[in-house]
This record gives sequence, structure tokens and C-alpha cells, in this order.
Amino acid sequence: MNGAGTIAVAVDGSPASEAPLAEALRLARDGRRPLLGVFVFDTGWADYIGNDWQSAAGARQGFLDYIRGQLEAQAEAAREQFVAATRGHAQARFAVIFGEPLETLCDLMARSEAETLVAGRETFQVCGRPSVKTLARDLARRVRSLRIV
Amino acid sequence: MSIAEETGFLGKLPKALPGLALLIGTMVVIRLWVEPWMTNAVILGQKGWLIKVTHLNYILLGIIMGLLYRNVIFGGKLPEIFADGFKLSRLFIKTGIILLGSLYTVQAIVKLGAMAIFLIGGFVVLSIVMVLWLGKLFGMDRSMTGVMANACSICGVSAAVATAPAVEAKASHVAYAIATILGFGILTMFISPFIGHALELNDLQYGAWVGTGILNSGQVLAACLAFNPNVAPGTAVSVGEIWNIMRVISIPFAVFAVTVWYWAGHEQPQGQRKSLTQLLVEKFPVFVLGFLAMVLLTSIGAFGDAGIKGGPPASATIKMIRDWMQWIFGIGLVGMGGYIDFKELRQAGGTPLKVGLIVGATKYVLALVLVLLIRDHLVEI
Repeated sequence: MNGAGTIAVAVDGSPASEAPLAEALRLARDGRRPLLGVFVFDTGWADYIGNDWQSAAGARQGFLDYIRGQLEAQAEAAREQFVAATRGHAQARFAVIFGEPLETLCDLMARSEAETLVAGRETFQVCGRPSVKTLARDLARRVRSLRIV
Repeated sequence: MSIAEETGFLGKLPKALPGLALLIGTMVVIRLWVEPWMTNAVILGQKGWLIKVTHLNYILLGIIMGLLYRNVIFGGKLPEIFADGFKLSRLFIKTGIILLGSLYTVQAIVKLGAMAIFLIGGFVVLSIVMVLWLGKLFGMDRSMTGVMANACSICGVSAAVATAPAVEAKASHVAYAIATILGFGILTMFISPFIGHALELNDLQYGAWVGTGILNSGQVLAACLAFNPNVAPGTAVSVGEIWNIMRVISIPFAVFAVTVWYWAGHEQPQGQRKSLTQLLVEKFPVFVLGFLAMVLLTSIGAFGDAGIKGGPPASATIKMIRDWMQWIFGIGLVGMGGYIDFKELRQAGGTPLKVGLIVGATKYVLALVLVLLIRDHLVEI
């Protein structure tokens, strides 16, 4: 996909993504550029709970369903946050992408779906695994056109 | 794509073959070449120095290789081609635990019963009370406290997973609880064999200590086999695992107790309310029934003589089952190592880490002191 000029922003529906969303919106308005809000639906939980061989199958799957429910609610909150913030901006769209947060955002940029990525220092921590604490730092290592807010 | 897991062993098998081949191949290389080499190598003028000083055996080497695969060789994530095979390591360990039932007879378990219930029950209750108290003291979120209470008292990740939905824990809370438990467990898994050898504990004392003191079940298994890789009645793994199974059985009861504590004074939403019976059906680990069936079959002599201490030697069938168990555990634990993600563990922190470390260390030290105090009264099986 050609995302020339597009600004992507990582949104999680929490106060942590308010500042990056505002910054992305400012860039989009100033440059009359399309804006893409992204929520990454973390699919790494089954792997994260790892070799949890003592659990009954029902308990394990019940837990994964419970986490999925939370992520769905967070994705909806992110969408509402994005829609409310971008009201009036004609070229704004929102996407939920499944995958591991760091890899997914890097892939998005590698596939040229956006030209610039904006992310907050604490984005996705509201519903994430401990490794998202370093998401901003890890993105800075791998994404060239990045703004951390 | 979702975070739900596909089920069905046969459906998964073709995709799992590369990963399985890597797990099995790793253990074959370790057991047939690396370990014998370490046993015979002359270093600093001493034959077998590597084994005597590092206490490394095929179990620890397997876990270390699993760790290296994920965190070094594959750069932090198992490649898709191997991921399904590594997932099956769960099945290996469960199968091994079921076969472990062949080390016991019903009489031996009954003999052990009162002491195990006293020790395990006492430590489970003590840990839960301690976490609830510390959680209040440090102002930790109530649902996080509930998850940590069961994770620190029963069997780590399994208990956290079983408790989280009942106490409305946030995903990030559970993630931090898991990282804390796993981090502490990995530390104890590697240091316990050294401490055990340094204190000259025997298998009975060591198994009772780690079976009570280590937070996570997988790490109890690994710590026992790292101390003594033999699988036979009276070895560290036979003692530690029977202790551990007592803990696992208590999961539904502990989930029930912590849920009652969490909702005390509040109206639990109708759809979420679960009776103890429902929790038993949902959360009771079925493989424990397989283990008990194996104990029963061994007791009635279905596999010939079990080789229990003081009795006739083990039959050829029992010897073969024990040999399989060594391979099954070895392969399963390479997989377990492959699930340990240092990137996640490094980020554990805050109050959960503080509470986990205090409770984990207290339990670990207290269990050792208690075992040393009652060493002459421990029941042999």
C-alpha cells in the first residue's frame, strides 16, 4: 500500500495517547496529510504465559478469552478516542492490527503504509505486557521517521 | 488472528514437526554427546570437573539451550517454523508428570498425606495471608493483590491465569505478576541445586524443600531434576513433585478463597459468580487424574514391581517408563526454556516485584529452615 505522506499514530484509548494523537493531528493538519490511527491487538499472550502446563485447558483458554475481551474493549476505547480527536479532519482513518506491538508497528512502516510514525512513551502500557515499557526506545532504534511524544 | 489457541493435537502435528525436531535433536545431542563429554573431560587436572563444580546436567543444559534459542540465537522471538513445536513441550511435561505416577503406590501417598497437607497447606495459607497484608501495606491494587496472592502461594503462572478473571485483574497487572513469579522462579531454579549440594541435603530433604519453597511448578520440576536427574522412588523429583501436585490440587480452592476475599462487601456481577463446584470443574488440572490413575495401576502391580525402597527391584516395564520420563522431561524442559523471555522479565518492577520478592524469599528460606528442623521426621516414600 502506498502511504506516501500518511502519518500513523499509535493509539490505545488511554491518557497516554492523548499527546501523541494531538501531535499527529497537528502534523496532519499543517501538512494536509492523511492520518492513520493504529491500535495493536497484542496476540502474544498465549506465548507469554508460556509453558503453563499445570493449567486446566479451561482455565488457560478462559484466561486468554478474558484478556481478549479486555483488548477488544481497549481497541474500542482507542477508536472512540481517535474519532473524537480527529473530528473534522477529512483524511483520518483508524485500524486495529493484530500482532506483537513492536513488530507490527515496524512492519507497518517497512511496508510504507505511512511515512511518519508518532507514538507516546507510555502507549499500550495500559493493556500491555512488560516489554511495551521500552516500546518507544525500541521503535527509535528501528523506525527512521519517528516522533516520540 | 486472535489470542485464542487452536486445539487438536493431530491437526497441529505437521506444523509442529520442525520445532519438535529441534527440541528432540537438542536433547539427543546433550544426552549422548555433551553430558558424557562433560563427565569425562579432564579440566584443571580433575576428571568431570565441569559436572562437579557447575552441577550442570542434561536438564539444566536443556533449559539453558531453550533460553539461548529464544533470547540469543533467534533474537527474542521463536521463529514461526519452530513455534508450534515448542508449544507442544507442555504436552511432554504433562505426559511426564502422568508417568511419574509410576514412582508411587497408594500406600506411600497415604503415608505422606498428613505431612504434605500440613506443610503445603500451611505454606499456601501463609503466603496468601502475607501477600494480602503486604498488598494492603504497599497500597497495591486489589485485583493485583488477588492475582499475586495465588501466584505466590500455589504454582505461579497457572494460579495467576486461573485467578485473574475472577478478580477482574487488568491484563497489564497479570503480565507483571507473571514476570515477577517467573523471574524469581528462574533464579531459584538455578541456585537451589547449588544450595542443596552445599548443605549436603539428601533427595528427600531437597525435594521437600524445593517442592514447598519454589513458586512455580515447572521450576520445581527443573530444580529437582537438576539436583538429581534420576527418576526413581525416593529421588528428589519423586519427593518434590508429590509436594507440588498437592499444591496444584489446591488451585480451585485458592481461587475460590481469593474471589470471596476480593468481592467481600461488594455485589459480584451475576454472570461472574461461580460456585466451588464450577471452579473445580473449570480449573482442576485433569492431568492430575492421569497421575492418580498411574499411581493406582502401579499399586495393583499393572507394570510389575515398582522398585519401591525395601521391596523387590523394579520390573523391566517400570525401568523403561523411567527411562522414557528422563527423555520426556528433558525435551519438555528445553521447550520451557524457550518460553522464558528475558526482555519481558527485565521489565518486571514496581510494587508487584517488591511483594513477590519478599513473599518468595520468605517462603524459600522458611521452607529450608523448616525442612532442616524436621529432617529426621520427613516421611520417606
